[in-house]
Amino acid sequence: MAHTLEIRDYTLDYATPKGAVHALEAIALTVDRGEVLGLVGESGSGKTSLAWAILRYLPANAIERRGDIRLSGRDLRAATPAELGAIRGRRIGMVFQDPGTSLNPTLPLGEQLAEVLVRHRGLTRRQAWREGEAMLARVGLKTPADMMRRYPHEASGGEKQRVVIATAFACQPELIVFDEPTTALDVVTAGQILDLFGELQAETAVASLYISHDLALVSRVADRVAVMHRGRIVEQGEVGSVFADPHEDYTRHLIAAVPRPDRRLVPAGPTAAVAPLVEIRDVGVRYGRPSIVDSLLGRAARSVVGNRAVSLTVRPGEILGVVGESGSGKSTLAKALTGLNRFEGEIRLDGRRVTGIGDMDRDYRRAVQIIFQHPDSSLNPRQRIREILSRPLEIYGDSEGRERAAAITDLLAQVQLPADYAGRFPHQLSGGEKQRVAIARAFASHPKLVICDEITSALDVSVQAAVVDLLVELQRRHGTAYLFITHDLNLVRQIAHRIAVMYRGDLVELLEADAFDSPRHPYTRTLIDAVPTPAG
Amino acid sequence: MTELLARLARSPQGALGLALVAVVAAIVVAGPMLAPYGPDTMSVLTRYQSPGVGHWLGTDQYGRDILSRLLYGARATVLMALLATALGTLAGACLGTTSAFLGGRADEAIMRTVDAVMSIPSLLFALLIVNLLGKSSLNALVAIGIAFAPGMARITRSVALAVRKQDYVSAAIARGESSAYVVFREMLPNVVAPVVVEMTIRVAFAVMLFATLSFLGLGAQPPASEWGLMVAEARRYMHLSPWMILWPSLAVALVAIAFNLLGDGLRDALNPRT
Repeated sequence: MAHTLEIRDYTLDYATPKGAVHALEAIALTVDRGEVLGLVGESGSGKTSLAWAILRYLPANAIERRGDIRLSGRDLRAATPAELGAIRGRRIGMVFQDPGTSLNPTLPLGEQLAEVLVRHRGLTRRQAWREGEAMLARVGLKTPADMMRRYPHEASGGEKQRVVIATAFACQPELIVFDEPTTALDVVTAGQILDLFGELQAETAVASLYISHDLALVSRVADRVAVMHRGRIVEQGEVGSVFADPHEDYTRHLIAAVPRPDRRLVPAGPTAAVAPLVEIRDVGVRYGRPSIVDSLLGRAARSVVGNRAVSLTVRPGEILGVVGESGSGKSTLAKALTGLNRFEGEIRLDGRRVTGIGDMDRDYRRAVQIIFQHPDSSLNPRQRIREILSRPLEIYGDSEGRERAAAITDLLAQVQLPADYAGRFPHQLSGGEKQRVAIARAFASHPKLVICDEITSALDVSVQAAVVDLLVELQRRHGTAYLFITHDLNLVRQIAHRIAVMYRGDLVELLEADAFDSPRHPYTRTLIDAVPTPAG
Repeated sequence: MTELLARLARSPQGALGLALVAVVAAIVVAGPMLAPYGPDTMSVLTRYQSPGVGHWLGTDQYGRDILSRLLYGARATVLMALLATALGTLAGACLGTTSAFLGGRADEAIMRTVDAVMSIPSLLFALLIVNLLGKSSLNALVAIGIAFAPGMARITRSVALAVRKQDYVSAAIARGESSAYVVFREMLPNVVAPVVVEMTIRVAFAVMLFATLSFLGLGAQPPASEWGLMVAEARRYMHLSPWMILWPSLAVALVAIAFNLLGDGLRDALNPRT
């Protein structure tokens, strides 16, 4: 019998003004009924191009060199647009990364689901609506009848992704392509969506192609895995054997880069006996200010709480991990500490009291530095690396002229970048290199505390590992304390001495890293359970 | 820069706009050298001539060569319009970026003022300012600059609001930089691209506005060969010699079209998605 999906020798180029770019080269894979093939690779490896090729949604500049893509023996490359219209949705389902953009914001969720059923299964509207409700109940939505009438903006991200999944499964397709379906969701929601995926997969025996950059996740959901690198599949096989005994160097490299909570990267931290470097006492942040109309009418400001009375201490030279889902107030705390947000309460740095942005003088700012999440936006695109790095040297003034050039070379060397990068602009650097420059900028002032706000989450896993190694190395050399904010529990357990768990603006728990497996707060438990740890 | 020009030349309107603006620029720079006669050389014998061998575009009521007057007048018209737009852009860009940076009440106050000023048509506003300052080319320039500033401020602010959210701006604030440093060194360089597009299109309006002010007798004063003034003077002799009014009108229109095309081309060339 034919494979549900069979791709043979598929090669794809993109025509660009600078010549053809090879996106995919000699791709060969199969997915059978009831099977989940995990497709992993770093950004730019061609995962998504392959998904588009299967769905026949290629951009106009795509050139298909050779090979074929067959769905149950049927050549998709030869299908006419009308035939493809009948195949997509009916025989191939799809679930994309961001449920916010894959749903039409102007139509109720039920309309969108029912439309698929009317079109592909020939149901009447009334039948389709009833069937849709049943589907929504099946994907675990509590009030399906109510959900059918809601618009996308009235549903949460997790609820929307459930609707998208319901739509994909609605016509009992042969194949479903999942492109990073949980990446845009919170840890806990993502965990629930994964469970749902597992159940539906077992129940319907659909063939699934599961695309993800997250090796730990793929090792949990897939039966077989294909590893992509620069448009080629470098290794393919059973999940267990690929992860336990990889044959290719690239696969080994990739697996080694996945953070594992049991592999600690830092020696034991300072004990509670030392005087704290930073004390945060009852720090709270509110967003929102009264509008002119509100203040004229004497109405109270509708403010949103970012943080509520958070108290914690950072010891000198300690790596304090802060975890929580988005909206839990992690970044708000970082912004309060660096004077980017107004706050209530007080911060003590080396015993000095800071109760507002006005108290943050040069010494405070020199001692507390911040590194941001997105390397693309944290460096000014109009400035050369030299200017970017010389600015902190200039304002915290401890070098001049030739000395400053030497200081810049030294900073670049500390983050393992060649000295000639000083003359480059940010767009000439890769994401990981940009993040290294941002790290160098933070260390230029010899800070005592560096706040790392999700600094690895925009990076590929192997780049992330290198950046984390660099941070640990810098910490060892300078004895700098870190406030390491992340949503990646596996990573934080590798490097943090203590871990603070935040939930909806509150600090719910502060644990020693080795006690993280036995938390007291139920939310911490949920968080730990939701995160897939790498197999093997 | 060369890449930008290459991208610009690829779209037909961009290429045409670029070519026309290059011609206009050449005339602004070298016009007086190319002119066969002086702009004020009068001759009673050759009054009201139609285009011909001696005078390619004909002559006016004093026998002055129209082609020479146009070539000389390019500076008075195009250069002044460019300067006026540059003035308005600079003022507007600084205002808009500062407003976006400050946010809150200050932003609200600045932008509502801008709204109020923008509700007055720019010609009316320019007329008002010239009447206050007195009639001259320089005052017309200042008037156009001031009339353009609010619009530019609005556009710059919308771009600057996006820049304001970038982490490099947060990084600068966290570093303890002064507001002026953040606005002028971190933000302003990053709002330039869309502002340049808008500025290019505005040059077309400025040329017309400047010509209009001169036509109404509030800009350049006789015997200058400013194009709008030439149209105004030729109006009286329209039945005697229609060529006199045709050429300067065409010149104004051509320059306006040239900058419009260039602006549209630039917008496409600077848009990374095309």
